[in-house]
Amino acid sequence: MHFAMPPRKTSRPPPYAARNQSSLPIPPALKNLLRGGKLRTTALGILGFLTLIWLLRRTGSDAGANIPKVAIGSGPPVVVVTTIDPKADRVWADKIKKNREDYAKKHGYLTFFPENNQYPLNKSPHTWSKVPALRHAMTLYPGSTFFWYLDSAALIMNPSIDLQSHILKPSRLEELMITNEPVVPPDSVIKTFGNLKGDRIDFIVTQDKEGLVPTSMIVRNGEWAKYFLDAWFDPIYRSYNFQKAESHALEHIVQWHGTILAKLALIPQNILNSYATGPSNPKFGKYKEGDLVANFPGCARDKHDCAAEQKAYFDILEKDDD
Amino acid sequence: MSRSPSPRPGGWSSPGLNTPYDSGGRSSPFANGSSSSNNVTWASAQARSANVKGYTAFAPRNQGFFGKHFRRLSTSLPFSYGEKEKLGRGRGYQGNNKILQMLNRIGWNLWRLRKPLGTILTIILLYILFYATPLHRVYRRSWFGGGSKFVVILAANQGGGVMEWKGPREWAIERDSVKNKKKYTQKWGYDLEIVDMSTKKRYAHEWRESWEKVDTIRNAMRKYPRAEWFWWLDTNTFIMEPNYSLQNHIFKQLKDVTYRDINHYNPLNISHPLTDEYLDPETRSPVGDGKADSINMIVPQDCGGFNLGSFFVRRSVWTDRLMDIWWDPVGYEQKHMEWEHKEQDALEYMYKNQPWIRPHLAFIGQRKINAFPPGACGEKGDDPHIHYKEKERDFLVNMAGCEWGRDCWGEMYRYRQLSNRLNRNPWEKFKDAISDFFKARRDAKKKKQEQQKKTN
Repeated sequence: MHFAMPPRKTSRPPPYAARNQSSLPIPPALKNLLRGGKLRTTALGILGFLTLIWLLRRTGSDAGANIPKVAIGSGPPVVVVTTIDPKADRVWADKIKKNREDYAKKHGYLTFFPENNQYPLNKSPHTWSKVPALRHAMTLYPGSTFFWYLDSAALIMNPSIDLQSHILKPSRLEELMITNEPVVPPDSVIKTFGNLKGDRIDFIVTQDKEGLVPTSMIVRNGEWAKYFLDAWFDPIYRSYNFQKAESHALEHIVQWHGTILAKLALIPQNILNSYATGPSNPKFGKYKEGDLVANFPGCARDKHDCAAEQKAYFDILEKDDD
Repeated sequence: MSRSPSPRPGGWSSPGLNTPYDSGGRSSPFANGSSSSNNVTWASAQARSANVKGYTAFAPRNQGFFGKHFRRLSTSLPFSYGEKEKLGRGRGYQGNNKILQMLNRIGWNLWRLRKPLGTILTIILLYILFYATPLHRVYRRSWFGGGSKFVVILAANQGGGVMEWKGPREWAIERDSVKNKKKYTQKWGYDLEIVDMSTKKRYAHEWRESWEKVDTIRNAMRKYPRAEWFWWLDTNTFIMEPNYSLQNHIFKQLKDVTYRDINHYNPLNISHPLTDEYLDPETRSPVGDGKADSINMIVPQDCGGFNLGSFFVRRSVWTDRLMDIWWDPVGYEQKHMEWEHKEQDALEYMYKNQPWIRPHLAFIGQRKINAFPPGACGEKGDDPHIHYKEKERDFLVNMAGCEWGRDCWGEMYRYRQLSNRLNRNPWEKFKDAISDFFKARRDAKKKKQEQQKKTN
């Protein structure tokens, strides 16, 4: 076609030139918000940066002292703790250790045998060493949940019994718990609590004819255990000359301090601590065949010979092994 | 010229004048003016539009009263623009022109900036409303302000009641102390629990004397189930800086203002950290796990060890256990002669002997929450760890031990006056400055006169 004048550039540019399409699909509303020149973009950038810093500070500021924490329950479920008197007969002591070790191996538990003079007892009786021994075991095996202290005068007579299903399962523990029972027989005004939940129990103990016996007891690992063991081990109780040392101290703190009583489950003596000899609980304390433990309280005292007293029981155990 | 007139009859088609019925000038140029039905003449279009609008094509202006007289009316009004110009010119001779112009300009500028100005004004108004009404208290108390997380427990009537008869001075001290804490807690939205310690004096012959602190804190914890931190204060304390909130002063930087390694300041020479191998690493660590949220108790130390005249405990199972084990009859029986400060000594004892306590107890600089006046811990009052410093605006003064040979009321009065003076608002400062100025002049004059008299 022929034009008289050369074609002119249009004097009206199209109102919006299409921008280079960015690869990020931004919703139009946001795009409109961002389309404000450099100022707005920088402001938004700074805001985003500050938010990021704030978030990071929230999460990562409290680094702490960097002490490795092992989750309770990540290790073997039970640790059997027995303090051994280094002056005792070696052969007998080895037999006692083997008794625990066989049992532990069977169920995948651990054992721990500290000597009863390795802790700073400050002239108090050696029987006190069970308290720091338990604390020590918790330090060494922080991943385990339950720590079973069993006195060296006791034997595990029925190794096939698994502690978990026998005692520790919350529903089982709730069945076993003796509630509303005087802590010190026969007529202490402080009685064990009712309405305790099995999974809230941190301390399982039995009672013989005279009172609480800490010769076979189970403590759950945790902050409460530290509190309980440290309070029990306070020098003020050790220097007080309780007639029965740590067991009377235990009765004392259980009766005076509700935060301890509230975590305690009293279970029938024959479940955890049957007596082969000695003043057992009249209702259910005497050892019968099939019980988990046969205890010979006092066999180490007064020049009694534990090995001689326990001979018949060792024979039974050895027969089972064969 | 290249733009030659149209070579064809009918002329250039003008698109604006074409009706929609016209299918385009160029397509049918020859039909223009002929008898085509597409053709619309000016007259026919006008007639059609007249039909639609419904009034006659010719409508003269200035019909009716307003139409005729609007201009006259408006010029006779007092705000007539036309008239104003004349007036302005008239006043120019009277010399008011500049001021008026300036005012006018300012007004005009204000009007122009009405949007930003309005926003600023609204913000200022809201700010004033927030602080003039109890709204700021509601905010500070709320979850955002965090005020309801704190409870101040004030022991009133300490040592009063059965053992001693309270005189007017004791009453005045107590009144001042209570008023001070009431004001403070109200300002920041905390709870104040005033406990009457005298009623417990009936236990005086029994074992538990002075351990009521524990029972009292327990009761407070039951009474304020939402609170987290409980601040114990003795009667003989005075909050010098009510403008410090506990959050800003302590709890926002809890880790920095407290120390857990007692070797930092150790008047009792307690060996720390514990080294027994049977203890777990956290207990053996000098700072526990080092995290702020494992702190459950905050205690200041004076020259003689822990001071429980002003301390914090946090609601936690740890605190429950501590308060349960704190008083024990066996401990009491063995130590009550030795433990002069009762629960304070018992806490020190437990800190030394029960390892589970250490990782959760933190210390705080004495002057942060419990500064002493001269007379307590040294007559001079110049220990930088312990004694109140006006220049550094310490938070609280504890007139500890003033009942033994010092003047409690005098100290309380002095510190109250000082606190008031330090916390004057600008207007009060201005007034005081003026009165001080005249006073000084008067004094100077008097002195001069006296000197003159003497010289004469």
